[in-house]
Amino acid sequence: MLSTMKTLRALMRSPQGAVGIVLVTLLLLISIFGPLLAPQDPESFNFGARFSPPSAEFLFGTDWFGRDLFSRILVGARSTVLLAILATVIGTASGALIGIFSGFVGGWVDELIMRTIDAIMAIPGLLLALMILTVLGSSSLNAVIAIGIAFAPGMARISRSTTLAVRELDYVSAARARGESKLWIIFAEILPNMVAPVIVEATIRVAFAIMTLATLSFLGLGAQPPSPEWGLMIAEAREHMFRSPWPILAPGISIALVAIAFNLLGDGLRDVLNPHSQE
Amino acid sequence: MTQTTVLDIKDYSLSYQTQAGPIRILENINLQIAKGEVLGLVGESGSAKSSLAYAVMRDSPGQIASESGSIMLQGEDLTQLADQDLTRRRGKQISMVFQNAATALDPTQSLGAHLAETLRAHQTDSTLDIQKRVYELFELVGLPDPELMAKKYPHEVSGGEKQRVVLAMAVSCDPDLILFDEPTSALDATTAVGMLDLFAQMQKKIGVAGLFISHDLGVVAEVADRVAVIYGGRVVEVAKVDDLFANPKHPYTQSLLASLPRPSDTRSKRGLKIDEGTPPPRRGDVPSCNFSHRCPKHDASVCEQSRVLLQPHEDRLLACARADVVVGETSASPSLIVPATADVVLEVKNLTVKLGRTSMLDQMLNKTPVQVHAVNNVDLQIHRGETVSLVGESGCGKSSLARALVGLGPFEGELLLNGRSVETLDAAYRADVQIIFQNPDSSLNPRHTLETILSRAIKLYRPEISAAERGAEIRKLLEKVRLPAHYSSRYPHQLSGGEKQRVAIARAIAAQPKVIICDEITSGLDAAVQASIVALLRQVQQDTDVALLFITHDLAILRHIAHRTAVMYLGEIVETRSVDGLDQRPYHPYTEALLSSASSPDPQTQTRRVRLTGSLPVRTARLSGCGFESRCPRRIGNICNEQPAPLRQVAQSHALKCHHETAELAKVEPVWKFT
Repeated sequence: MLSTMKTLRALMRSPQGAVGIVLVTLLLLISIFGPLLAPQDPESFNFGARFSPPSAEFLFGTDWFGRDLFSRILVGARSTVLLAILATVIGTASGALIGIFSGFVGGWVDELIMRTIDAIMAIPGLLLALMILTVLGSSSLNAVIAIGIAFAPGMARISRSTTLAVRELDYVSAARARGESKLWIIFAEILPNMVAPVIVEATIRVAFAIMTLATLSFLGLGAQPPSPEWGLMIAEAREHMFRSPWPILAPGISIALVAIAFNLLGDGLRDVLNPHSQE
Repeated sequence: MTQTTVLDIKDYSLSYQTQAGPIRILENINLQIAKGEVLGLVGESGSAKSSLAYAVMRDSPGQIASESGSIMLQGEDLTQLADQDLTRRRGKQISMVFQNAATALDPTQSLGAHLAETLRAHQTDSTLDIQKRVYELFELVGLPDPELMAKKYPHEVSGGEKQRVVLAMAVSCDPDLILFDEPTSALDATTAVGMLDLFAQMQKKIGVAGLFISHDLGVVAEVADRVAVIYGGRVVEVAKVDDLFANPKHPYTQSLLASLPRPSDTRSKRGLKIDEGTPPPRRGDVPSCNFSHRCPKHDASVCEQSRVLLQPHEDRLLACARADVVVGETSASPSLIVPATADVVLEVKNLTVKLGRTSMLDQMLNKTPVQVHAVNNVDLQIHRGETVSLVGESGCGKSSLARALVGLGPFEGELLLNGRSVETLDAAYRADVQIIFQNPDSSLNPRHTLETILSRAIKLYRPEISAAERGAEIRKLLEKVRLPAHYSSRYPHQLSGGEKQRVAIARAIAAQPKVIICDEITSGLDAAVQASIVALLRQVQQDTDVALLFITHDLAILRHIAHRTAVMYLGEIVETRSVDGLDQRPYHPYTEALLSSASSPDPQTQTRRVRLTGSLPVRTARLSGCGFESRCPRRIGNICNEQPAPLRQVAQSHALKCHHETAELAKVEPVWKFT
């Protein structure tokens, strides 16, 4: 807990970190309280005000059914941001575990796991997610699982390489000489020391996850209408692009902001979690 | 001074900006180096000796908060120069020799290209034949076959050869000043003395001025004309080498020299002074004298009147307000090493360690794996309460032996603990044989508190201690290694180097072991800290009768800790002898070379020089003859590389492996002459 506070304080000192953490906190608040804050029902039609530009009544304007874009963004934040985070957590956790295990055990087990992962990594992430979705069927949750699985190989590589570096250090040798169990060595000796690069990578991946989720929804494989998921909103608004830009701009800019926020946070964390920068 | 001054540092101060406010790095430095002179700069780690070199190079690693004074090179103030002017002077007028040649050279460039690049960058004479000059330089630094050498890449040559290339780069443009930053610290003793000889030779030939930075006073004594002692960013004493070591005046210099082991210690029964004081204050109020808090002579009425600055005092410069006061020097405890018992605790018979893994592909292709013979048929006995030191250069297999003994690597051979043969290295064996690693920075998990670190060892080895009692046991352990009890909630990075090594010792003794293997545990520490760690180990040994296998490459410290020593070369123990008789011949030729290359600032001793040439044989094949044959100065002839050397028993606890008769080896000149 103490170290978390210290990390936060150090993070606030770097400009990217501070901006990143403020933006991400804001986003999380919106994801949680968005539906309560939304001034209107995101699915109610206002036929009198179709394609209206931003105004006092409709902050971000309205779409082709006259639905309030501001309310839709607020409500959609939950499914978009939280699902993206969930997908990243699944990918990071499974990838990191595979990576640590593979790196720690070494030998032919490591070879086998890593060559399999190489093979999976040869398939582009989106394509892999698409393949998984065709098996699982299309729904938001399945999209999350698909993205999680698609992320795992990359995380596995990163955590394996850090594990290999940490494994050679004397405190791991000391633990082995002491006769510690493998579980203790993996979870208490190695994991805390390799978690920093993995966390940094994960924050950057959140932005990827949002974009991939949006892409999947855009392709009709993630969230289904009339859900206010941001990617889906863009996909639907495409047909009406020439009548009003607002239905595309509002979710588009939101996605970009989220991506930037997490990237900044990732940059900040990379500096802060580097042990050389700690006093 | 009649000679021309090359470097003149006048009243130079520097402080860095950190998150916690400005921190004083250098304070009122006044130093002059004349043409053809080498000034040694010695100090413990953190004394800002490297910062001074970087300040002269105008390449500061930190964010400068304030800077004052001047650094004059040939009458030109470097602190006032613009960046591009500095670039032109670096390499041309000032050059630097770094500690670690392995990282100072670019692995993708050939050695010749390194030199050619430097020459080309500072070329003033367009008619200069760069290629020819490169060869000349290689010859100058004693590299054989320069044409072949220039084509090689850094990874193809040895550490000593790399350091020679770095030196060649430094002298390539005939600089006015060379800065040496611990140039021999990363090298083996026998390689390092070769480098020191080379420095001295080149110094005579080209007469360049040098600033030689080192924590090792012995090394500085070899090369420097004058020595400046730096403490906490202030120069406290500057004197001629011989004057300084024979008669140190500043209390810090005195304490530094008193904690340094010397070859004459066995004869004079001299103990090492333990003074592991706290570092000087670097923030807040500027103290008049920053050694006050540790100084035995400190007298507030004199020392705190005004800033104590470097002033001429008799034959030297001294920063001490009470230089003429002699305080009854608290003489260090004489080295009383409790004799060992006769019962054998750990016995190793015919132990062999081979390194190198066979990959699956190699197995499938039926390739014979390439294996390095790290340890070959080693026999070793350790008695209860005894310290056996295992000495040898890097790569001789001493760490491989240590790792095999604690179950960190496979080995062949027999292992007996308390007379019983050990089949598997089970928990009981692991509890009895503990290891302490060289570097406490990496042997203590940075994410664990000391409490976690120590409690794991207790939990695993002492199941009779309940979880509730562990806290009390941890406090007891910390007390045993003289650390305050409240340290248990700290993390390793909040401790100093010496304190970290104490924690590692506490972790080892938590298991109440029979044997502790100490793998170079004092190598990274300052002399004073080393002395205190050695004293602590002796105390532990006295209290618990534990046997120690003390692995080191530093021969000087042996006399203060070990009963017996085993000298290892290329995976074989070539000699075992008692430390009491270290001054007496015969020696194995390698032991002789090793002992003579341990430089030590001891005015009472003259060390004879034995220099090794030749290269190491390939480690992947078993040698038919003696391993030392290729570098041995006493090589007889073909018998040395055709037949393995016979084991010759000299005395009860003295045996060596050599083709020479022991009577013949006993006739060589002694390594040390004591006056």
